[in-house]
Amino acid sequence: MSASGLQLNRVTIRFGGLTAVSEVSATVRPGELAGLIGPNGAGKTTVFNLITGVYAPTEGTIEFAGRALTGLKPFEITARGIARTFQNIRLFGSLTVFDNVRVAFHLHLQQGPGQSLFRGPSFHREERELSERTRELLEIFKLDRVRNEPARSLPYGDQRRLEIVRALATQPELLLLDEPAAGMNPAEKVELMKLIQFIQERYKLAILLVEHDMKVVMGICQRIHVLEYGRKIAEGTPAQIRENPAVIAAYLGYEPENGPTV
Amino acid sequence: MPGWLNRSQLVLAAALLAAGVAQFLSNRLDSYVLSVAMGVGINIILASSLNLINGFTGQFSLGHAGFMAVGAYTAAVLTGKLAPQLQPIFGGHVELLFPFALIVGGLVAAVAGGLVGAPSLRLKGDYLAIVTLGFGEIIKVIFQNVEYVGGAKGLNAIPDYSNLFWVFGTTAITVYTVWALMNSTYGRGFLAVADDEIAAEAMGLNTTRYKMVAFVVGAFFAGIAGGLFAHLNNSINPSGFDFNKSIEIVVMVILGGMGRHTGVILAAILLTVLTELLRQFGDYRMVIYSLLLILLMLTRPQGLLIWPIRKSASRRTT
Repeated sequence: MSASGLQLNRVTIRFGGLTAVSEVSATVRPGELAGLIGPNGAGKTTVFNLITGVYAPTEGTIEFAGRALTGLKPFEITARGIARTFQNIRLFGSLTVFDNVRVAFHLHLQQGPGQSLFRGPSFHREERELSERTRELLEIFKLDRVRNEPARSLPYGDQRRLEIVRALATQPELLLLDEPAAGMNPAEKVELMKLIQFIQERYKLAILLVEHDMKVVMGICQRIHVLEYGRKIAEGTPAQIRENPAVIAAYLGYEPENGPTV
Repeated sequence: MPGWLNRSQLVLAAALLAAGVAQFLSNRLDSYVLSVAMGVGINIILASSLNLINGFTGQFSLGHAGFMAVGAYTAAVLTGKLAPQLQPIFGGHVELLFPFALIVGGLVAAVAGGLVGAPSLRLKGDYLAIVTLGFGEIIKVIFQNVEYVGGAKGLNAIPDYSNLFWVFGTTAITVYTVWALMNSTYGRGFLAVADDEIAAEAMGLNTTRYKMVAFVVGAFFAGIAGGLFAHLNNSINPSGFDFNKSIEIVVMVILGGMGRHTGVILAAILLTVLTELLRQFGDYRMVIYSLLLILLMLTRPQGLLIWPIRKSASRRTT
Protein backbone atom coordinates (compact mmCIF):
# COMPACT_ATOMS: atom_id res chain seq x y z
CA MET A 1 0.00 0.00 0.00
CA SER A 2 1.28 3.40 -0.87
CA ALA A 3 1.50 5.89 1.96
CA SER A 4 0.34 8.84 -0.05
CA GLY A 5 -2.94 10.06 -1.43
CA LEU A 6 -6.37 9.18 -0.16
CA GLN A 7 -7.18 5.62 0.75
CA LEU A 8 -10.53 4.15 1.69
CA ASN A 9 -10.17 0.68 3.21
CA ARG A 10 -13.39 -1.34 3.26
CA VAL A 11 -15.39 1.64 4.50
CA THR A 12 -18.91 0.91 5.68
CA ILE A 13 -21.55 3.11 7.24
CA ARG A 14 -24.95 2.08 8.50
CA PHE A 15 -27.79 4.38 9.50
CA GLY A 16 -29.96 2.15 11.64
CA GLY A 17 -30.85 -0.77 9.39
CA LEU A 18 -29.76 0.95 6.20
CA THR A 19 -26.27 0.30 4.91
CA ALA A 20 -25.59 3.44 2.91
CA VAL A 21 -22.01 2.59 2.01
CA SER A 22 -20.73 -0.97 2.14
CA GLU A 23 -17.10 -2.06 2.16
CA VAL A 24 -15.91 0.54 -0.32
CA SER A 25 -12.20 0.55 -1.00
CA ALA A 26 -10.66 3.15 -3.27
CA THR A 27 -7.49 5.12 -3.77
CA VAL A 28 -6.97 8.62 -5.09
CA ARG A 29 -3.31 9.18 -5.85
CA PRO A 30 -1.64 12.58 -5.43
CA GLY A 31 -2.29 14.74 -8.47
CA GLU A 32 -4.88 12.37 -9.89
CA LEU A 33 -8.21 13.52 -11.28
CA ALA A 34 -10.65 10.83 -10.21
CA GLY A 35 -14.38 10.50 -10.62
CA LEU A 36 -17.00 8.90 -8.42
CA ILE A 37 -20.20 8.05 -10.25
CA GLY A 38 -23.31 6.06 -9.65
CA PRO A 39 -27.08 6.24 -9.96
CA ASN A 40 -29.13 8.41 -7.61
CA GLY A 41 -28.88 7.29 -4.02
CA ALA A 42 -25.80 5.16 -4.63
CA GLY A 43 -24.00 6.76 -1.69
CA LYS A 44 -21.66 9.16 -3.49
CA THR A 45 -22.28 12.15 -1.26
CA THR A 46 -22.17 9.87 1.78
CA VAL A 47 -18.66 8.85 0.73
CA PHE A 48 -17.75 12.55 0.63
CA ASN A 49 -19.25 13.06 4.05
CA LEU A 50 -17.24 10.12 5.35
CA ILE A 51 -14.00 11.47 3.94
CA THR A 52 -14.61 14.96 5.34
CA GLY A 53 -15.59 13.75 8.79
CA VAL A 54 -19.26 14.70 8.71
CA TYR A 55 -19.99 11.01 9.37
CA ALA A 56 -17.71 8.50 11.05
CA PRO A 57 -17.48 5.12 9.29
CA THR A 58 -19.12 2.22 11.12
CA GLU A 59 -16.35 -0.03 9.83
CA GLY A 60 -13.19 0.44 7.84
CA THR A 61 -10.62 3.22 7.80
CA ILE A 62 -9.83 6.28 5.74
CA GLU A 63 -6.24 7.44 5.38
CA PHE A 64 -4.80 10.55 3.85
CA ALA A 65 -1.09 11.05 3.22
CA GLY A 66 -0.38 7.94 5.28
CA ARG A 67 -2.31 9.08 8.36
CA ALA A 68 -5.70 7.85 9.51
CA LEU A 69 -8.51 10.41 9.48
CA THR A 70 -10.56 8.47 12.02
CA GLY A 71 -12.17 10.59 14.70
CA LEU A 72 -11.13 13.93 13.24
CA LYS A 73 -13.65 16.75 13.04
CA PRO A 74 -14.37 18.30 9.63
CA PHE A 75 -12.20 21.35 10.30
CA GLU A 76 -9.28 19.15 11.32
CA ILE A 77 -9.61 17.15 8.13
CA THR A 78 -9.55 20.37 6.12
CA ALA A 79 -6.38 21.24 8.03
CA ARG A 80 -4.88 17.94 6.80
CA GLY A 81 -5.34 19.16 3.24
CA ILE A 82 -8.76 18.00 2.05
CA ALA A 83 -11.18 20.70 0.91
CA ARG A 84 -14.65 20.26 -0.52
CA THR A 85 -17.56 21.89 -2.24
CA PHE A 86 -21.18 21.02 -1.63
CA GLN A 87 -23.87 19.54 -3.83
CA ASN A 88 -26.29 22.29 -2.83
CA ILE A 89 -24.03 25.31 -2.82
CA ARG A 90 -23.08 26.45 0.66
CA LEU A 91 -21.54 29.88 0.40
CA PHE A 92 -21.46 32.46 3.15
CA GLY A 93 -24.39 34.26 1.56
CA SER A 94 -24.28 37.55 3.44
CA LEU A 95 -20.51 37.92 3.12
CA THR A 96 -19.01 39.50 0.05
CA VAL A 97 -17.33 37.39 -2.60
CA PHE A 98 -14.03 38.77 -1.34
CA ASP A 99 -14.73 37.82 2.27
CA ASN A 100 -15.91 34.34 1.30
CA VAL A 101 -12.45 33.65 -0.06
CA ARG A 102 -10.58 35.63 2.58
CA VAL A 103 -12.16 33.74 5.47
CA ALA A 104 -11.06 30.45 3.90
CA PHE A 105 -7.42 31.40 4.51
CA HIS A 106 -8.26 30.82 8.17
CA LEU A 107 -6.09 27.70 8.50
CA HIS A 108 -3.04 29.69 7.56
CA LEU A 109 -3.73 32.66 9.79
CA GLN A 110 -1.21 33.84 12.35
CA GLN A 111 -3.73 36.13 14.00
CA GLY A 112 -6.39 35.37 16.58
CA PRO A 113 -8.74 37.46 18.71
CA GLY A 114 -5.79 39.11 20.48
CA GLN A 115 -4.22 40.41 17.29
CA SER A 116 -7.59 41.62 15.97
CA LEU A 117 -7.91 43.78 19.07
CA PHE A 118 -4.32 44.91 19.28
CA ARG A 119 -3.94 45.60 15.55
CA GLY A 120 -0.16 45.84 15.59
CA PRO A 121 2.09 46.03 12.51
CA SER A 122 2.17 42.25 12.05
CA PHE A 123 -1.62 42.18 12.01
CA HIS A 124 -1.75 44.79 9.26
CA ARG A 125 0.97 43.05 7.31
CA GLU A 126 -0.99 39.81 7.40
CA GLU A 127 -4.24 41.50 6.43
CA ARG A 128 -2.53 43.16 3.46
CA GLU A 129 -0.95 39.89 2.41
CA LEU A 130 -4.25 38.01 2.61
CA SER A 131 -6.06 40.72 0.66
CA GLU A 132 -3.41 40.43 -2.00
CA ARG A 133 -3.72 36.66 -2.21
CA THR A 134 -7.49 36.82 -2.20
CA ARG A 135 -7.47 39.37 -5.00
CA GLU A 136 -5.07 37.18 -6.95
CA LEU A 137 -7.31 34.12 -6.64
CA LEU A 138 -10.37 36.14 -7.63
CA GLU A 139 -8.56 37.49 -10.66
CA ILE A 140 -7.44 34.05 -11.81
CA PHE A 141 -11.01 32.81 -11.61
CA LYS A 142 -12.52 35.98 -13.07
CA LEU A 143 -14.50 36.90 -9.98
CA ASP A 144 -12.68 40.14 -9.19
CA ARG A 145 -15.37 42.24 -10.88
CA VAL A 146 -17.96 41.13 -8.34
CA ARG A 147 -15.72 40.95 -5.31
CA ASN A 148 -17.75 43.41 -3.28
CA GLU A 149 -21.11 41.82 -4.03
CA PRO A 150 -22.74 39.61 -1.41
CA ALA A 151 -22.16 36.00 -2.46
CA ARG A 152 -25.85 35.17 -2.58
CA SER A 153 -26.48 37.78 -5.26
CA LEU A 154 -24.19 36.05 -7.78
CA PRO A 155 -25.53 34.11 -10.75
CA TYR A 156 -25.59 30.35 -10.25
CA GLY A 157 -22.49 29.54 -12.29
CA ASP A 158 -20.45 32.16 -10.48
CA GLN A 159 -21.59 30.78 -7.13
CA ARG A 160 -20.34 27.33 -8.13
CA ARG A 161 -17.03 28.81 -9.20
CA LEU A 162 -16.73 30.88 -6.05
CA GLU A 163 -17.27 27.77 -3.96
CA ILE A 164 -14.36 26.11 -5.73
CA VAL A 165 -12.17 29.18 -5.30
CA ARG A 166 -13.04 29.30 -1.62
CA ALA A 167 -12.05 25.65 -1.23
CA LEU A 168 -8.76 26.38 -3.00
CA ALA A 169 -7.99 29.15 -0.51
CA THR A 170 -7.61 26.51 2.20
CA GLN A 171 -4.66 25.27 0.09
CA PRO A 172 -5.68 21.63 -0.19
CA GLU A 173 -3.82 18.67 -1.62
CA LEU A 174 -7.08 16.96 -2.41
CA LEU A 175 -10.17 18.75 -3.64
CA LEU A 176 -13.56 17.05 -3.41
CA LEU A 177 -16.14 18.42 -5.83
CA ASP A 178 -19.72 17.35 -5.19
CA GLU A 179 -21.67 17.59 -8.44
CA PRO A 180 -20.14 20.82 -9.67
CA ALA A 181 -21.98 20.60 -12.99
CA ALA A 182 -25.44 20.23 -11.45
CA GLY A 183 -27.84 22.74 -12.92
CA MET A 184 -25.40 24.03 -15.52
CA ASN A 185 -26.16 24.44 -19.19
CA PRO A 186 -23.93 22.72 -21.81
CA ALA A 187 -21.80 25.81 -22.37
CA GLU A 188 -21.22 26.24 -18.65
CA LYS A 189 -20.32 22.56 -18.39
CA VAL A 190 -17.60 22.93 -21.00
CA GLU A 191 -16.27 25.92 -19.06
CA LEU A 192 -16.34 23.88 -15.87
CA MET A 193 -14.37 21.02 -17.42
CA LYS A 194 -11.68 23.44 -18.51
CA LEU A 195 -11.68 25.01 -15.08
CA ILE A 196 -11.24 21.70 -13.27
CA GLN A 197 -8.39 20.66 -15.52
CA PHE A 198 -6.80 24.07 -15.12
CA ILE A 199 -6.97 23.80 -11.33
CA GLN A 200 -5.46 20.33 -11.33
CA GLU A 201 -2.54 21.41 -13.47
CA ARG A 202 -1.89 24.76 -11.88
CA TYR A 203 -2.18 23.76 -8.24
CA LYS A 204 -0.87 20.21 -8.66
CA LEU A 205 -3.60 18.75 -6.55
CA ALA A 206 -5.69 15.61 -6.60
CA ILE A 207 -9.36 16.01 -7.39
CA LEU A 208 -12.19 13.62 -6.63
CA LEU A 209 -15.31 14.48 -8.54
CA VAL A 210 -18.82 13.28 -7.84
CA GLU A 211 -20.86 13.87 -10.94
CA HIS A 212 -23.99 12.80 -12.71
CA ASP A 213 -23.06 14.24 -16.02
CA MET A 214 -21.26 11.54 -17.99
CA LYS A 215 -19.86 13.93 -20.52
CA VAL A 216 -18.03 15.80 -17.78
CA VAL A 217 -16.80 12.71 -15.96
CA MET A 218 -15.73 10.79 -19.05
CA GLY A 219 -14.18 13.89 -20.51
CA ILE A 220 -11.76 14.78 -17.75
CA CYS A 221 -11.34 11.98 -15.22
CA GLN A 222 -8.28 9.76 -15.39
CA ARG A 223 -9.83 7.11 -13.21
CA ILE A 224 -13.43 6.41 -12.34
CA HIS A 225 -15.01 4.58 -9.41
CA VAL A 226 -18.59 3.42 -9.75
CA LEU A 227 -20.99 2.94 -6.86
CA GLU A 228 -24.35 1.23 -6.83
CA TYR A 229 -26.46 0.69 -3.71
CA GLY A 230 -23.49 1.69 -1.60
CA ARG A 231 -21.20 -0.95 -3.06
CA LYS A 232 -18.40 -0.35 -5.47
CA ILE A 233 -19.09 -2.20 -8.68
CA ALA A 234 -16.30 -1.02 -10.93
CA GLU A 235 -13.12 0.99 -11.22
CA GLY A 236 -11.06 1.92 -14.25
CA THR A 237 -10.29 4.39 -16.98
CA PRO A 238 -13.19 6.08 -18.78
CA ALA A 239 -12.80 3.65 -21.67
CA GLN A 240 -12.96 0.64 -19.37
CA ILE A 241 -15.95 2.00 -17.49
CA ARG A 242 -17.82 2.67 -20.73
CA GLU A 243 -17.50 -1.02 -21.67
CA ASN A 244 -18.16 -2.44 -18.21
CA PRO A 245 -21.32 -4.57 -18.28
CA ALA A 246 -22.07 -4.06 -14.56
CA VAL A 247 -21.96 -0.30 -15.00
CA ILE A 248 -24.15 -0.39 -18.09
CA ALA A 249 -26.68 -2.53 -16.27
CA ALA A 250 -26.69 -0.24 -13.25
CA TYR A 251 -27.29 2.80 -15.37
CA LEU A 252 -29.72 1.37 -17.91
CA GLY A 253 -31.81 0.10 -15.02
CA TYR A 254 -32.26 3.56 -13.60
CA GLU A 255 -31.39 6.42 -15.89
CA PRO A 256 -31.17 5.26 -19.49
CA GLU A 257 -30.91 8.81 -20.83
CA ASN A 258 -27.83 9.36 -18.71
CA GLY A 259 -26.24 6.09 -19.74
CA PRO A 260 -22.50 5.76 -19.97
CA THR A 261 -22.61 5.35 -23.74
CA VAL A 262 -23.35 9.05 -24.23
CA MET B 1 -1.36 52.56 8.46
CA PRO B 2 2.01 52.12 10.16
CA GLY B 3 2.86 52.38 13.83
CA TRP B 4 1.19 51.11 16.96
CA LEU B 5 -1.69 53.53 16.93
CA ASN B 6 -3.93 53.31 13.92
CA ARG B 7 -7.09 55.19 13.21
CA SER B 8 -9.44 52.89 15.11
CA GLN B 9 -7.28 53.01 18.21
CA LEU B 10 -7.08 56.80 17.98
CA VAL B 11 -10.87 56.89 17.90
CA LEU B 12 -10.93 54.69 21.00
CA ALA B 13 -8.43 56.98 22.76
CA ALA B 14 -10.50 60.01 21.80
CA ALA B 15 -13.64 58.35 23.16
CA LEU B 16 -11.92 57.59 26.45
CA LEU B 17 -10.71 61.18 26.66
CA ALA B 18 -14.22 62.43 25.92
CA ALA B 19 -15.57 60.23 28.71
CA GLY B 20 -13.03 61.81 31.05
CA VAL B 21 -13.97 65.32 29.99
CA ALA B 22 -17.68 64.51 30.33
CA GLN B 23 -17.00 63.28 33.85
CA PHE B 24 -15.08 66.48 34.59
CA LEU B 25 -18.08 68.56 33.50
CA SER B 26 -20.71 66.26 34.96
CA ASN B 27 -21.40 68.26 38.10
CA ARG B 28 -23.14 70.83 35.91
CA LEU B 29 -25.65 68.23 34.77
CA ASP B 30 -28.94 67.45 36.37
CA SER B 31 -28.61 64.21 38.33
CA TYR B 32 -31.61 62.67 36.56
CA VAL B 33 -30.14 63.40 33.13
CA LEU B 34 -26.85 62.00 34.40
CA SER B 35 -28.39 58.73 35.51
CA VAL B 36 -30.31 58.33 32.25
CA ALA B 37 -27.12 58.99 30.32
CA MET B 38 -25.34 56.30 32.31
CA GLY B 39 -28.28 53.95 31.76
CA VAL B 40 -27.85 54.55 28.04
CA GLY B 41 -24.16 53.69 28.25
CA ILE B 42 -24.82 50.49 30.18
CA ASN B 43 -27.46 49.42 27.68
CA ILE B 44 -25.07 50.08 24.79
CA ILE B 45 -22.56 47.75 26.47
CA LEU B 46 -25.23 45.11 26.95
CA ALA B 47 -26.61 45.41 23.43
CA SER B 48 -23.21 45.50 21.71
CA SER B 49 -21.94 42.49 23.61
CA LEU B 50 -25.12 40.54 22.91
CA ASN B 51 -24.84 41.61 19.28
CA LEU B 52 -21.53 39.72 19.15
CA ILE B 53 -23.34 36.52 20.18
CA ASN B 54 -26.78 36.90 18.60
CA GLY B 55 -26.07 39.16 15.68
CA PHE B 56 -22.61 38.45 14.34
CA THR B 57 -22.18 34.83 15.39
CA GLY B 58 -25.87 33.95 14.97
CA GLN B 59 -26.23 32.12 18.29
CA PHE B 60 -29.55 33.13 19.75
CA SER B 61 -28.94 33.63 23.46
CA LEU B 62 -31.62 34.65 25.94
CA GLY B 63 -29.36 34.56 28.98
CA HIS B 64 -27.65 37.92 28.85
CA ALA B 65 -29.32 39.22 32.02
CA GLY B 66 -27.92 36.17 33.82
CA PHE B 67 -24.34 37.11 32.93
CA MET B 68 -25.13 40.69 33.88
CA ALA B 69 -26.34 39.47 37.28
CA VAL B 70 -23.15 37.48 37.85
CA GLY B 71 -21.06 40.59 37.18
CA ALA B 72 -23.31 42.85 39.22
CA TYR B 73 -23.26 40.63 42.30
CA THR B 74 -19.54 39.92 42.07
CA ALA B 75 -18.63 43.59 41.76
CA ALA B 76 -21.06 44.64 44.49
CA VAL B 77 -19.65 42.07 46.92
CA LEU B 78 -16.10 43.19 46.15
CA THR B 79 -16.80 46.88 46.78
CA GLY B 80 -19.13 46.12 49.69
CA LYS B 81 -18.66 43.13 51.97
CA LEU B 82 -15.12 42.40 50.89
CA ALA B 83 -13.99 46.03 50.67
CA PRO B 84 -12.33 46.09 54.13
CA GLN B 85 -10.14 43.13 53.17
CA LEU B 86 -9.39 44.50 49.71
CA GLN B 87 -8.62 48.10 50.63
CA PRO B 88 -5.13 47.34 52.01
CA ILE B 89 -4.13 45.66 48.73
CA PHE B 90 -4.64 48.93 46.89
CA GLY B 91 -2.82 50.90 49.57
CA GLY B 92 -3.65 54.55 49.20
CA HIS B 93 -5.39 54.07 45.86
CA VAL B 94 -8.91 53.22 46.95
CA GLU B 95 -10.21 54.55 43.61
CA LEU B 96 -8.71 51.48 41.95
CA LEU B 97 -11.06 49.18 43.85
CA PHE B 98 -13.95 49.92 41.48
CA PRO B 99 -12.23 49.09 38.17
CA PHE B 100 -10.79 46.02 39.88
CA ALA B 101 -14.30 44.96 40.97
CA LEU B 102 -15.67 45.60 37.48
CA ILE B 103 -13.01 43.50 35.80
CA VAL B 104 -13.32 40.64 38.29
CA GLY B 105 -17.11 40.81 37.83
CA GLY B 106 -16.57 40.58 34.06
CA LEU B 107 -14.17 37.67 34.43
CA VAL B 108 -16.52 35.71 36.68
CA ALA B 109 -19.33 36.33 34.18
CA ALA B 110 -17.00 35.17 31.38
CA VAL B 111 -16.33 31.95 33.29
CA ALA B 112 -20.09 31.53 33.69
CA GLY B 113 -20.37 32.12 29.94
CA GLY B 114 -17.83 29.40 29.29
CA LEU B 115 -19.58 26.98 31.64
CA VAL B 116 -22.96 27.56 30.01
CA GLY B 117 -21.53 27.68 26.50
CA ALA B 118 -19.52 24.47 26.60
CA PRO B 119 -22.47 22.08 26.80
CA SER B 120 -25.13 24.22 25.13
CA LEU B 121 -23.41 25.65 22.06
CA ARG B 122 -23.84 22.34 20.28
CA LEU B 123 -27.50 23.28 20.13
CA LYS B 124 -28.86 25.59 17.50
CA GLY B 125 -31.56 28.19 17.15
CA ASP B 126 -34.61 27.71 19.35
CA TYR B 127 -32.94 25.00 21.41
CA LEU B 128 -30.00 27.20 22.34
CA ALA B 129 -32.43 30.01 23.16
CA ILE B 130 -34.31 27.76 25.57
CA VAL B 131 -31.15 26.51 27.29
CA THR B 132 -29.78 30.03 27.77
CA LEU B 133 -33.18 31.15 28.99
CA GLY B 134 -33.08 28.35 31.55
CA PHE B 135 -29.59 29.37 32.59
CA GLY B 136 -30.71 32.95 33.21
CA GLU B 137 -33.52 31.74 35.44
CA ILE B 138 -31.19 29.40 37.34
CA ILE B 139 -28.81 32.28 38.07
CA LYS B 140 -31.71 34.34 39.35
CA VAL B 141 -32.93 31.55 41.62
CA ILE B 142 -29.43 30.92 42.96
CA PHE B 143 -29.03 34.56 43.96
CA GLN B 144 -32.51 34.50 45.50
CA ASN B 145 -31.45 31.71 47.79
CA VAL B 146 -27.97 32.75 48.83
CA GLU B 147 -28.24 34.65 52.11
CA TYR B 148 -24.72 36.04 51.78
CA VAL B 149 -25.91 38.27 48.92
CA GLY B 150 -29.20 39.16 50.58
CA GLY B 151 -31.49 36.49 49.13
CA ALA B 152 -34.60 37.83 47.44
CA LYS B 153 -34.01 41.29 48.93
CA GLY B 154 -30.69 41.57 47.16
CA LEU B 155 -27.85 43.91 48.03
CA ASN B 156 -28.34 47.47 49.18
CA ALA B 157 -26.19 50.47 49.95
CA ILE B 158 -23.80 49.70 47.10
CA PRO B 159 -21.42 52.66 46.79
CA ASP B 160 -22.25 54.93 43.84
CA TYR B 161 -18.93 54.54 42.09
CA SER B 162 -20.39 54.57 38.57
CA ASN B 163 -19.80 57.84 36.81
CA LEU B 164 -19.69 59.11 33.26
CA PHE B 165 -16.01 58.24 32.88
CA TRP B 166 -16.33 54.59 33.91
CA VAL B 167 -19.59 54.05 32.06
CA PHE B 168 -18.65 55.68 28.77
CA GLY B 169 -15.04 54.55 28.97
CA THR B 170 -16.28 50.96 29.20
CA THR B 171 -18.84 51.61 26.48
CA ALA B 172 -16.08 52.80 24.17
CA ILE B 173 -13.94 49.76 24.96
CA THR B 174 -16.86 47.39 24.38
CA VAL B 175 -17.81 48.93 21.05
CA TYR B 176 -14.16 48.98 19.98
CA THR B 177 -13.68 45.33 20.99
CA VAL B 178 -16.71 44.10 19.05
CA TRP B 179 -15.81 46.25 16.05
CA ALA B 180 -12.15 45.21 16.04
CA LEU B 181 -12.98 41.52 16.44
CA MET B 182 -15.29 41.71 13.44
CA ASN B 183 -13.01 43.73 11.21
CA SER B 184 -10.26 41.20 10.71
CA THR B 185 -9.85 38.05 8.70
CA TYR B 186 -10.11 36.11 11.93
CA GLY B 187 -13.32 37.96 12.77
CA ARG B 188 -14.96 37.20 9.43
CA GLY B 189 -15.10 33.69 10.84
CA PHE B 190 -17.87 34.75 13.25
CA LEU B 191 -19.97 35.89 10.29
CA ALA B 192 -19.13 32.71 8.40
CA VAL B 193 -20.31 30.62 11.37
CA ALA B 194 -23.54 32.61 11.42
CA ASP B 195 -24.07 32.19 7.68
CA ASP B 196 -23.37 28.48 7.35
CA GLU B 197 -21.83 26.41 10.10
CA ILE B 198 -21.25 23.32 7.97
CA ALA B 199 -19.46 25.30 5.27
CA ALA B 200 -17.43 27.16 7.89
CA GLU B 201 -16.30 23.88 9.40
CA ALA B 202 -15.42 22.58 5.92
CA MET B 203 -13.24 25.66 5.37
CA GLY B 204 -11.18 24.72 8.41
CA LEU B 205 -12.85 26.98 10.98
CA ASN B 206 -13.23 25.54 14.45
CA THR B 207 -16.84 26.64 14.77
CA THR B 208 -17.16 25.49 18.37
CA ARG B 209 -14.23 27.65 19.39
CA TYR B 210 -15.64 30.65 17.52
CA LYS B 211 -18.95 30.30 19.30
CA MET B 212 -17.18 29.96 22.64
CA VAL B 213 -15.12 33.09 22.02
CA ALA B 214 -18.27 35.03 21.17
CA PHE B 215 -20.08 33.69 24.21
CA VAL B 216 -17.24 34.31 26.66
CA VAL B 217 -16.41 37.80 25.37
CA GLY B 218 -20.13 38.69 25.31
CA ALA B 219 -20.58 37.42 28.87
CA PHE B 220 -17.50 39.33 30.02
CA PHE B 221 -18.91 42.66 28.90
CA ALA B 222 -22.37 41.80 30.21
CA GLY B 223 -20.71 41.19 33.57
CA ILE B 224 -18.98 44.56 33.45
CA ALA B 225 -22.27 46.23 32.53
CA GLY B 226 -23.78 44.49 35.56
CA GLY B 227 -21.07 45.93 37.81
CA LEU B 228 -21.70 49.42 36.44
CA PHE B 229 -25.43 48.96 36.85
CA ALA B 230 -25.05 47.89 40.48
CA HIS B 231 -22.89 50.92 41.30
CA LEU B 232 -25.29 53.25 39.50
CA ASN B 233 -28.50 52.00 41.13
CA ASN B 234 -26.94 51.42 44.54
CA SER B 235 -29.09 48.35 44.98
CA ILE B 236 -29.65 45.15 43.09
CA ASN B 237 -32.01 42.25 43.54
CA PRO B 238 -32.41 38.98 41.64
CA SER B 239 -35.69 39.87 39.98
CA GLY B 240 -34.02 42.82 38.26
CA PHE B 241 -32.09 40.31 36.16
CA ASP B 242 -34.97 38.20 35.01
CA PHE B 243 -36.14 37.06 31.63
CA ASN B 244 -37.65 40.49 30.87
CA LYS B 245 -34.24 42.11 31.15
CA SER B 246 -32.76 39.60 28.69
CA ILE B 247 -35.61 40.23 26.28
CA GLU B 248 -35.10 43.99 26.58
CA ILE B 249 -31.49 43.52 25.39
CA VAL B 250 -32.51 41.12 22.63
CA VAL B 251 -35.03 43.67 21.39
CA MET B 252 -32.28 46.29 21.13
CA VAL B 253 -30.18 43.91 19.04
CA ILE B 254 -33.03 42.93 16.75
CA LEU B 255 -34.31 46.48 16.36
CA GLY B 256 -30.79 47.71 15.65
CA GLY B 257 -30.40 45.06 12.99
CA MET B 258 -28.65 41.84 14.00
CA GLY B 259 -24.96 42.26 13.37
CA ARG B 260 -24.88 46.02 12.74
CA HIS B 261 -22.62 48.07 14.95
CA THR B 262 -24.21 51.51 14.67
CA GLY B 263 -27.81 50.35 14.42
CA VAL B 264 -27.60 48.39 17.66
CA ILE B 265 -26.02 51.33 19.49
CA LEU B 266 -28.78 53.61 18.21
CA ALA B 267 -31.46 51.13 19.24
CA ALA B 268 -29.97 50.92 22.74
CA ILE B 269 -30.04 54.73 23.01
CA LEU B 270 -33.54 55.02 21.56
CA LEU B 271 -35.14 52.36 23.72
CA THR B 272 -33.49 53.57 26.93
CA VAL B 273 -34.57 57.16 26.36
CA LEU B 274 -38.00 56.04 25.23
CA THR B 275 -38.54 54.09 28.45
CA GLU B 276 -37.73 57.24 30.42
CA LEU B 277 -39.91 59.53 28.31
CA LEU B 278 -42.86 57.20 28.72
CA ARG B 279 -42.68 57.28 32.50
CA GLN B 280 -45.16 60.16 32.54
CA PHE B 281 -47.84 57.86 31.13
CA GLY B 282 -47.78 55.71 34.24
CA ASP B 283 -49.58 52.41 33.74
CA TYR B 284 -49.91 52.90 30.01
CA ARG B 285 -46.15 53.03 29.62
CA MET B 286 -45.63 49.42 28.63
CA VAL B 287 -48.64 49.50 26.31
CA ILE B 288 -47.22 52.44 24.40
CA TYR B 289 -43.74 50.96 24.48
CA SER B 290 -44.98 47.68 23.02
CA LEU B 291 -47.02 49.46 20.36
CA LEU B 292 -43.98 51.50 19.35
CA LEU B 293 -41.94 48.31 19.13
CA ILE B 294 -44.51 46.72 16.85
CA LEU B 295 -44.58 49.85 14.72
CA LEU B 296 -40.79 49.94 14.48
CA MET B 297 -40.56 46.28 13.57
CA LEU B 298 -43.20 46.73 10.87
CA THR B 299 -41.54 49.74 9.32
CA ARG B 300 -37.91 48.78 9.90
CA PRO B 301 -37.75 45.00 9.88
CA GLN B 302 -34.09 45.00 8.83
CA GLY B 303 -33.04 47.24 11.67
CA LEU B 304 -33.07 50.96 12.35
CA LEU B 305 -30.21 51.75 10.05
CA ILE B 306 -29.80 49.91 6.83
CA TRP B 307 -26.46 50.41 5.27
CA PRO B 308 -25.78 49.20 1.76
CA ILE B 309 -24.86 45.59 2.51
CA ARG B 310 -21.38 45.42 4.07
CA LYS B 311 -19.93 46.65 0.82
CA SER B 312 -17.07 48.64 2.18
CA ALA B 313 -16.34 46.12 4.91
CA SER B 314 -13.85 44.05 2.96
CA ARG B 315 -11.78 47.07 2.07
CA ARG B 316 -11.70 48.68 5.42
CA THR B 317 -9.13 46.55 7.20
CA THR B 318 -6.52 46.55 4.47
